[in-house]
Amino acid sequence: MSHAQAEVTQAEASGEYEPRIVAFLCKWCSSAGSDLAGVSRIQYPSNATPITVPCSGSVSPMYILSAFKKGADGVLVSGCHIGDCHYIEGNYLARRKIHLVKELLGMVGVEPDRFRMSWVSAAEGAKYSQVIKDFVNDLRPLGPQEKLKADRS
Amino acid sequence: MIAVQDIRDTARDLLAKNEVRAVIGYRRGTNGMFAEPVVITAAEQADQLVWDPTCFHNLSLYLVEDRKFLKHVKQNPDLPIAIVAKGCDARAIVVLMQEHYFERKNVYVIGVSCEGTGMLDERKLASRGIQASDAAFDGDDLVFATAQGEQRIPAREVMADRCLECRTPCPKEYDALLGEDKTGRELAEPFAALKRFEEQDAVERWKFWERQFDRCIRCFACRSVCPMCYCDECVVDSISFPVNAQTSAEEKANRVRWIERSAVRSENITYHMTRAIHLAGRCVDCNECERVCPVNIPLRLLNNKMEREAREQFGYEPGASVSVPALVASFLDSDPGKFIR
Repeated sequence: MSHAQAEVTQAEASGEYEPRIVAFLCKWCSSAGSDLAGVSRIQYPSNATPITVPCSGSVSPMYILSAFKKGADGVLVSGCHIGDCHYIEGNYLARRKIHLVKELLGMVGVEPDRFRMSWVSAAEGAKYSQVIKDFVNDLRPLGPQEKLKADRS
Repeated sequence: MIAVQDIRDTARDLLAKNEVRAVIGYRRGTNGMFAEPVVITAAEQADQLVWDPTCFHNLSLYLVEDRKFLKHVKQNPDLPIAIVAKGCDARAIVVLMQEHYFERKNVYVIGVSCEGTGMLDERKLASRGIQASDAAFDGDDLVFATAQGEQRIPAREVMADRCLECRTPCPKEYDALLGEDKTGRELAEPFAALKRFEEQDAVERWKFWERQFDRCIRCFACRSVCPMCYCDECVVDSISFPVNAQTSAEEKANRVRWIERSAVRSENITYHMTRAIHLAGRCVDCNECERVCPVNIPLRLLNNKMEREAREQFGYEPGASVSVPALVASFLDSDPGKFIR
């Protein structure tokens, strides 16, 4: 566990609310973008748990619902900019699919700010840090996500 | 509504000339006036067939069942199977062919135009306490034969919402078409229930769904009745995970389970939302899932939401044509992307 992650865990232990974000990052762009943010020593909140996926188009709606079910306060799907997909059209397909998921979540009554999509290229370390910063700031006032979370008691 | 004799004649003719191996249609059931699905295989059985406002079942489900059975017995008969299809059933058949579940030559579609009538809603009828032995359209009214005599109700009040909102009451894909392509009545505004529902704020909407999903008993009737839920393995119950005497507890514990089968709210909501997503661009609004739900969960709202998004954002109409690519397998440059940062 890194120092930053330990801080988040500590904050949680002391009863302070720290949003937990599950970030599905595409292997070719956003994941490399988050790497760049790291090697460039850009400071940003450590609330996001990155999960590298082959392509944003490979993110099944099941992943998103499952993340919420396991207690994520926010879910981020991030991929290459339109036209830059390593698999030519994966992010176009993702855009459609994610739109449907977003609409459905909103209709059921989940706060729209809990689910987000972004395009982050491998050169956009600064943008990645900004996306995470904004997400954490937007999630904080919402409080813990209890709606879709599995009741394990 | 068209005369039942036309359907019987067509079916008898097809079976007598040995052009089809069976006809899927409706017959009088044992539950009062309500029709039930039937498969007839001989010309002399054709007189069993009925056609009335209680033929609400989506028969394309039985094409799927037929396909599954043929696969199981490893047969591939040359003759097609005929099916009596309303506008909605024909849309479902188009979606199944779009997904290559069967080929066009495997099925003979006896298209039946609803001609501006439609099907009854059992629940609307039950809430009025009508127990009838027969129902028939007479102009804008439905006439019920009850023990107390004839009862006349404006059709609009007891017809299914999906029929009131139906935009394609006449099949587009057929081998034989009975009846004319006409609506004959003023259509209700499509997605009316969804629109009403969405006028509430997010807190109320969640309260509503929380209550609905708490009630789901996970009987999977919605899945069983849906012609689009034909997957061999459903994400809810994994059958490809072999459990034998050598399977360790750890292996069992570590297998991926996206959705548990237990009927608790979080699992129910994941199940129903996953199902709605899986049906996006495929659901033809036959509303069978809502009809068979034993606890009356308004599943049509979820499916309508996806249908409306597909129509308004992506210009996609489920079941409109066999040749267009599926909703989530295609894209346009003009797809909405404003929500992406």
